[in-house]
Amino acid sequence: MVSRASDDAADAARPPAPAEGEAAVELIGIGKRFGSVVANDGVDLVLRRGTVHAVMGENGAGKSTLMSMLFGLLEPDSGEIRVEGRPVRFAGPLDAIAAGLGMVHQHFRLFDTMSVADNVVYGAEPRRRGLFGKAFVDRRAADARVRELAARYGLDTDPAAVVGSLSAGARQRVEILKALHRDARILILDEPTAVLTPSEVDSLFAVIRRAADAGTTVVLVTHKIHEVLAVSDEVTVLRDGRVTGRFATRDASAAELVRAMTGRAIAEVKNPGTGTPGETVLEVEGLSVSDGRRTVVSDVSLSVRRGEIVGIAGVSGNGQHELVAAVLGTLGVAAGRVRLAGADVTGASVRDRRARGLAVIPEDRRGEGSAVTMTVAENAALGHHRSAPIGASTGIRRGWMSLKAERSQARELIADYDVRTSGEQQLIGSLSGGNAQKVVVARELAHQAPLLIAEQPTQGVDVGAIGAIHGRLLDYRAAGNGILLVSHEISELLALADRVLVMYGGAIVASFTAAEATTERIGAAMAGAAAADPTEASDAAPDPAAPDLTAPDPTAPRSTAPHPTAPHDGDRA
Amino acid sequence: MTAPPETTSAAPAKASSRGRRLATAALRHPAVVPIGAVVLALLIGAVIILAAGLDPITAYTAVIQNSLDPGQLDYTFSVWAFICGMALAAAIPLRMGEFNLGGNGQLVLGGLTATVIASSLPLPSIVLIPLAVIGAAIVAGAFGAISAPLATRFGIPIIISTLLLSPVAVAVVSYLVRFPLGEAGSAVAQTTRLPEGARMWALGDLSYSNAGLIIIVLLMVVFWVVDSRTAVGFELRVVGANRRFGAYGGVRVGRLALGAMAAAGAAAGVVGAVIVMSSPFRLIDGALISPGYTFAGLAAALLAGGRPALIPVTAILFTILQVGGAGMERSADVPRQLSDVLQGVVIVVLALRTVLDQRRTERSSA
Ligand SMILES: Nc1ncnc2c1ncn2[C@@H]1O[C@H](COP(=O)(O)OP(=O)(O)OP(=O)(O)O)[C@@H](O)[C@H]1O
Ligand SMILES: [Mg+2]
Repeated sequence: MVSRASDDAADAARPPAPAEGEAAVELIGIGKRFGSVVANDGVDLVLRRGTVHAVMGENGAGKSTLMSMLFGLLEPDSGEIRVEGRPVRFAGPLDAIAAGLGMVHQHFRLFDTMSVADNVVYGAEPRRRGLFGKAFVDRRAADARVRELAARYGLDTDPAAVVGSLSAGARQRVEILKALHRDARILILDEPTAVLTPSEVDSLFAVIRRAADAGTTVVLVTHKIHEVLAVSDEVTVLRDGRVTGRFATRDASAAELVRAMTGRAIAEVKNPGTGTPGETVLEVEGLSVSDGRRTVVSDVSLSVRRGEIVGIAGVSGNGQHELVAAVLGTLGVAAGRVRLAGADVTGASVRDRRARGLAVIPEDRRGEGSAVTMTVAENAALGHHRSAPIGASTGIRRGWMSLKAERSQARELIADYDVRTSGEQQLIGSLSGGNAQKVVVARELAHQAPLLIAEQPTQGVDVGAIGAIHGRLLDYRAAGNGILLVSHEISELLALADRVLVMYGGAIVASFTAAEATTERIGAAMAGAAAADPTEASDAAPDPAAPDLTAPDPTAPRSTAPHPTAPHDGDRA
Repeated sequence: MTAPPETTSAAPAKASSRGRRLATAALRHPAVVPIGAVVLALLIGAVIILAAGLDPITAYTAVIQNSLDPGQLDYTFSVWAFICGMALAAAIPLRMGEFNLGGNGQLVLGGLTATVIASSLPLPSIVLIPLAVIGAAIVAGAFGAISAPLATRFGIPIIISTLLLSPVAVAVVSYLVRFPLGEAGSAVAQTTRLPEGARMWALGDLSYSNAGLIIIVLLMVVFWVVDSRTAVGFELRVVGANRRFGAYGGVRVGRLALGAMAAAGAAAGVVGAVIVMSSPFRLIDGALISPGYTFAGLAAALLAGGRPALIPVTAILFTILQVGGAGMERSADVPRQLSDVLQGVVIVVLALRTVLDQRRTERSSA
């Protein structure tokens, strides 16, 4: 997935003219340390007006740190920042915003319970003159402002929607609107695509190009080379806090970028497709889940066998996450059964399910997969804390924990997965995004559970680490375990899955074997009803393959509209 | 290689040319809010004393002198232990992010149970005293535990149900002390004195400190060990740090809340039992509540952020306020209620922090 789509995508979307604006931002000799960790070391970076500048680098290379300094969240230890020619020292993000900068963070910073419009104008609200002076927010003006910005930049959003109910892509758009609302002339995007589906990425890039053409300067931090080639004008590569490469995008190749990032070439990992699947470890039968207002998973049946990776594709918000939550047991089901290794666990607790051999890499790393205020060691221990060597499940030590074992396990994990940290006692919240992800992946893989559910397992990790994690997932499969892989990256599904199911509107609408699966077919099925028929999707292929027999027959008449309401007997939490 | 979390999370301490930046950096240090709360409370107290036309320096000196008076140490220690006990009742649920505001109800139920057992069972002290303490812990623990299913089953937040249930228990105990269990012919609503065999073992010839205080200190040690060394303590901390993370990892959050609330109630119950089994060896209506151990304990627990190792220290602060308040009244003419005001300010500042933190974590993550 490193180089595949890159070249053609690049040719299609790259602007023909070379980037030639004057410098909007100059970072000169920037240095930053955290204790003993050197996050940035003499970094020079020039952003030209009206261009898109990509910043790449391995996890922990110092990209987020550099962007945080530019945005006034951190103060550089050394070096100078100039914005539009003037040296600046930002005491905080408010100064940066006043100087015309806007930032979309690696982790969303939105109020879930508030509306889109409220979030966008928060901190810079249009005021209404009234009895109490200008004490009240003018909501009508806020709505109008959001609509106007959305229309100007082609950001499709509903100002009245509550942020908590939005998909990742929609939240991303809210973050961008927030920056645009404050008239950002320089837009910093830190891994904006990590949680987006391909079509969401496409529309984001359209927005970025439109903004750049209108004179906005954009910095884009990303790990995805095809994105860099597709949308950027210039690229700067960081490694261990230093600049190791500068490229004009039209002269750069994927291989060169990878070498600058990692110092070596990256081998692609591919599921060999060997071995025969064993007994069934997960069986989901007619599963429906309701979120109280509507059915979010409707009548889903699927199974995962030992030695098999079953992929689930779909645009985010089509029920994949709820399906996973229902299998894990954090969400109640409205109808249907879940069986783990043959045992019905539909009403069982999360702990019982995990005890039967279930491990989960969750999509929401900060919200569900970790406790940011706890250490790496503590985060790595959850779920392992009641069994040897950290805890004990029987005997006199039952219920006790060995802090020594907790630390030594964490040290092993850090070494195994190449987690860049100052030690196992570092708070996981201060790790770089990709490194925190590695800790979560490592913790769950360590269970060696017969069934692993992996949701976006490589979100935020760099190309090298993606290869490493993919390799581990394949080893996990080869060891005779089953994996349910939920991913937005079609390339990831193509590289790893033995079968790919596509979810749309809460239902499984298509199923492909590895041999049948192509980007086009999966993409078409993800796009919805029109392409829900795999035979139609496979027309383009020379050999229209039959649908996978182990999955529900996708050609059967489907009672499920995009948001179907299946009859159910109330929530069984 | 193992940098303490404090240093890694705190903003850089390097000298900065920008005062504002340095100030924000310093303000992020975890100790700032608690210490700031105390300083602010003392300042507000000083303003009030000044407004009353008195001298804050004299008043505060009186507080310190009085509470640390060697002749009073025995009494001071007993107050410290009771505040520690009530801090425990607040800290255990606080560790998992829950607020137990029902300390008073749990306290009086403990006192009542111990009184009933101690005055009605004709057993030797070696059996009777532990039995009374354990009985108090069980009854008060059960009362505290009610709040857990109310939260899990019916969605009533623990902070609400403890607050609402507590006055009910207080009223019931008050009724029982006044009527069915009250001492006949007494002008005061109180039970009869406990028999000799049911009085807590004294420590030497000290008049306030007794074996009950040792029990409370031991409970603190147990909490510290459980918190840092056991799976349950780990789960408590995980849930306190991120409830969804805990649930995802297989922590039975409902059961944990049940255990935490039962343990919290039991701690308060033990304090109640020890108080009634100390001089004047009877349950007097209102006497368990009026010293304000519950509130002081809650403040100490909040100030310590629920961390077991810090509670003894923060409890000292409130002990000084509590004990010294009386001295202040005597030597500086400042009403002792001022110490309640100071405690109140500390709690308000800390509560404000909690609200702000929640506001911050409310922001979604990807
Ligand atoms: N607040 C902090 N305290 C301690 N160390 C930190 C802190 N913030 C960042 N670091 C360290 O600085 C280094 C650079 O981190 P940064 O977040 O900039 O990486 P990144 O390039 O954005 O990586 P990723 O691609 O994983 O997001 C890492 O080693 C990280 O652990
Ligand atoms: Mg980053």
